[in-house]
Amino acid sequence: MDRQKVLLFGAAAAVRLLLFTAFPSLPHLLAGRVEVSTPVTSFKRLQEGLFLYTHNVSPYDGGVYHQAPLLLPLFSLLPNPSYYPFATNVLFTVVDLLGAQALMQIADSGQSVKTRLFESSRKELRWSSLAMAAGFLFNPFTIATCIARSTSALTNLFILAAMAKASQGASITFVFAIAIASYLSMHPVLLFPPLLLLCYHVRASKSASAPSLLSFAIGHAGALASTCGGLLYVSALLTGSWEFMRATYGVRLLLPDLTPNVGLWWYFFTEMFDSFREFFLGVFWLHVASYMPGLTIRLRKQPLFVAVTLTGVFAVFTPYPSIADAALYLSLVPLFRHLFPLMRYTFLASATILYASFLGPAFYYLWIYAGSGNANFFYAITLVWSLGLSVIVGDSLYAALRDELDVERPELKGKEVKRI
Amino acid sequence: MSTPEGVDASSAPVTSSDGPGSSSTRHGAATSRRQPPPEPKDSLWLRRAVILSFWLVVVVLGLPVWWKTTAIYRAELPLQTMTDWADGKICKPVFPLRIAVEAPIAQQDAQHLVRTTQHALDDLNDFSAHHLRLMLLDPPLAPNASQQVVPDGSILEENDKENIALLVRLVSVETGTTPRSRLQPYSPTLDVYYTANQLPSPSSTGSPLATFIAHELHKIFAEEQARLAYLLSTTSGARTAKSKSLSAETAAELERQSTRALKYAPTYHLTFSLFSPTYLPSAWEIEEALQDYLSPLLDSFRSISNFTVDTQVQLYSTFSPSMRQPEYDDVLKAWTLRKEDLSGFINAAEWPLSPSIGAGPTVNFALYVPDQAQSPLLVKENGGNSWLVPQWGGIFILNPADAHEDSTPSFLAKDALAPAMHAFSDQLVSLLGLPQSPASLPLRLSTLTRVRAASLLFSASSTLGALARLYRALPSIPVPDMVAQSVDLTAAHLQHACDSLREGRFQGALEHARIAEGEAEKAFFERSMVGQVYFPDEHKVAVYLPLLGPVAVPLIMAGLKELKSMTGSIFPKRSP
Repeated sequence: MDRQKVLLFGAAAAVRLLLFTAFPSLPHLLAGRVEVSTPVTSFKRLQEGLFLYTHNVSPYDGGVYHQAPLLLPLFSLLPNPSYYPFATNVLFTVVDLLGAQALMQIADSGQSVKTRLFESSRKELRWSSLAMAAGFLFNPFTIATCIARSTSALTNLFILAAMAKASQGASITFVFAIAIASYLSMHPVLLFPPLLLLCYHVRASKSASAPSLLSFAIGHAGALASTCGGLLYVSALLTGSWEFMRATYGVRLLLPDLTPNVGLWWYFFTEMFDSFREFFLGVFWLHVASYMPGLTIRLRKQPLFVAVTLTGVFAVFTPYPSIADAALYLSLVPLFRHLFPLMRYTFLASATILYASFLGPAFYYLWIYAGSGNANFFYAITLVWSLGLSVIVGDSLYAALRDELDVERPELKGKEVKRI
Repeated sequence: MSTPEGVDASSAPVTSSDGPGSSSTRHGAATSRRQPPPEPKDSLWLRRAVILSFWLVVVVLGLPVWWKTTAIYRAELPLQTMTDWADGKICKPVFPLRIAVEAPIAQQDAQHLVRTTQHALDDLNDFSAHHLRLMLLDPPLAPNASQQVVPDGSILEENDKENIALLVRLVSVETGTTPRSRLQPYSPTLDVYYTANQLPSPSSTGSPLATFIAHELHKIFAEEQARLAYLLSTTSGARTAKSKSLSAETAAELERQSTRALKYAPTYHLTFSLFSPTYLPSAWEIEEALQDYLSPLLDSFRSISNFTVDTQVQLYSTFSPSMRQPEYDDVLKAWTLRKEDLSGFINAAEWPLSPSIGAGPTVNFALYVPDQAQSPLLVKENGGNSWLVPQWGGIFILNPADAHEDSTPSFLAKDALAPAMHAFSDQLVSLLGLPQSPASLPLRLSTLTRVRAASLLFSASSTLGALARLYRALPSIPVPDMVAQSVDLTAAHLQHACDSLREGRFQGALEHARIAEGEAEKAFFERSMVGQVYFPDEHKVAVYLPLLGPVAVPLIMAGLKELKSMTGSIFPKRSP
């Protein structure tokens, strides 16, 4: 088992480093693709910010860099990636391996099939953690993200780490990981309530006397707030002002950069009447946020499933999604292998995802380079992509509810149900 | 197997059919026959909590966002004041002109003369807004007289001197027909020659001299009165009642002049262009010519507008192909252009006459030197060689003076340009709307000042009125604070301009009216207001409904259903 893990991780690292060295222009090419690099995660923009930072100019002055300030000292420690890319490549490879490690921990904890309050009737049906890690490491989307050196790989790592730590009941590391993920990308803060619930369940099942949920929640929320506040304060010290808030979270909230991406926002807001722009920014953000409370309440017995579903919602409905978000979600869904028999549209969803993955770059080429298409071509294919992901989200939700029903009323197992 | 209807199926309310093999019809029958098991309490509350959580997001976060982001900011505007300005209720422009009288006679006699002349003048005047007021100036030759305190206070203060419209200088002569008058062309002075016996006797109430002066003054200001009356009658219906009636031909003449003149602007750009169909002439002494012939004129206009001057030489400038080519006329021994072709003379497509240089209108002056083969070139109907294009500029055809030479001169000296420059000056004067009479240029300029001040006043006022109407008519447009500030500034400067007019400080009135006009235009054409004009309220349905309808319908339906079941459980129906 251990040898297999070493072999898997070694192979994954080798593939990445081989791609980096065998095709030196590949990182540059992928970093310029709109599907992989968004304005808030692009490695090219990070380099621009890094250049300004090392020349003692505020990194946000150019209006190009929209990522968290604390990434700058981290990357300024590494040799300049334009001349010595190896260290950066190794860093991103390690990030992926650590993410796979966290994913294995989540799978090993078994929280996807059996929690304190719920135990799936199909819990024998699951893949090994090694298979999960392989699915993550050899997912082409993950590899592309890694090669493009998009900083969303870091966000993914910290989301995975937060899930892993929550499923182990390690409060401090969980709060720390979710705080860093929120600090980097803002929207992962919505994962906090379901993961908090997950952490609580694990802790309660481990100790003899369950702590009060309210005090547990307040304590962790306080810890999260203070950690985030501390990170923001350090950032302010680093850049010398609070201006970075506008350049980082302000950009995510207000969408000033309408560069195309695989999400739904950019096209909509290029067409939007100016006077309604603010209103619909509010509507879209509330739409993203509104899934969290409802899902957490409804599926409170399976908080890990809520968190995973939310990452799927993020991959579709956030302002700057990329295939990195989809890679995270698609790697997490196999945790719920036991739900697959209950899902009805697996063929449709996987075909749609494949279709969009191949046609997306082609349509983008037709629009931007060949000039024989227009923006609608690319937008249509991003709609298909989002549709595919939404079908998976919706279908897995149905399957989870059906699974709960089977536990509740075992006599209905295998029979068709109808909602009244 | 038929599929369940929604992915968010609640777990509890389910029915089971007889088995996997049952047909769909039997399944339907089974549903109606067998009641579903009662919903457990906790799943009921769970569902309510889920629906409530969505509703909370909508109500607690969504409504404030909606309220805050779609609120239209409308700055408060003083609508009543603006309408009053437009209706002319606040300011009734009056033009009290001070006319100084300088008489080398005794103080009492002079005052008596002034008084009788004023009476005669008032009898002649039928336009109440335009009022000539005579004042006795200290006779400079009699220093002892100036020490006296004049009872009616008509001794002029120092700062009033520049506001004197006209100086009437009485000169006693012995010879020639008397009384006679002479208006000095380059100073606002009217010399009146009289003999001593024409002075009114202290006891009489009228005298030939007084009547003569009154008639002369009335004549001098007749055109100005006509212009102002025309302005008052055209700008607002409310004012016509008070204004003096104009004869039809005067009105038509003023109409013609006003359509010819350019709109008032603080800065005009003058462009002088030399066009030639060949390579000659390639140089002209334009700078010196402008310096000599035009600069004095421009300097005298300086108090009203500023000017910038550009020049250019364009060789090989041919007529546009659509224009009828000049024909040779044997009678005139000249090449002729027909009058109806003059409008096509300027080849707008190829001649580089830029329509605008910076802010403010451009006045084009084109000097055309015809080819030797087509020289002299004249207008067929009247043999003229220059004409004016209304609100655009002027054209002058310069036929080389020494026609016996074989070729066009390569260089146009200052003297050769003189007739062109005179023509251009005349054209500029009428393009700027300077009145034709009286003969004195300073008087005409001050007339122009008054007319311009009044027209700016009216235009700014009517812009305010239009803005007020717009504000009332379109309640959906946003009105930023900038507009309110501009409106306040406009009103303040209009008030200043009006006061200045009443006090006879016409230059100050023009300054204020100019600022008021600029601010009023800025307020009316504020960019952020225009965007919403073409966005009626009905379009909001088209924006909200397709985007929010699909979200709202399930939310509302679920909420209603839960409310119904809750009221049902609180007040249970009596079952039979």
